[in-house]
Amino acid sequence: MSITDERVDASARDFDPDRAWRLHPQVALRDESFGALAYHYGTRRLLFLKSRPLVELVSALDHYESARAAIEALVPESEQAQYTRALARLAKSEVIDAH
Amino acid sequence: MLLSEDQDVQDAEALSEDEVDELLVEEVSIDGMCGVY
Repeated sequence: MSITDERVDASARDFDPDRAWRLHPQVALRDESFGALAYHYGTRRLLFLKSRPLVELVSALDHYESARAAIEALVPESEQAQYTRALARLAKSEVIDAH
Repeated sequence: MLLSEDQDVQDAEALSEDEVDELLVEEVSIDGMCGVY
């Protein structure tokens, strides 16, 4: 297994959809026509969230007891796997954090 | 002969999960942008 593979596996483990997640306190979201820009003032990372439903999901995470509950409430079943991976990607970049 | 629509379907099926996920989230490098603003 390469170092890159290990890093990917570690990041996948880091996101537990059964935990409660929220927008990271150091992240600002700015609405855009395509979705939103997310800027992390700590890591100085900039990400594009390229769908309105994803922006709404991320913004609403802290109202649910788990990321899974938020996804099940807000995302059509056929798209839930894709949005779960999107949240894992955002967790990897520290746009969202467990609390 | 493939119709263009058939080719589009094949292209879509060829997308990996990572590429599909890039449709939702894309990280942008801002290295070197200091001084732009």
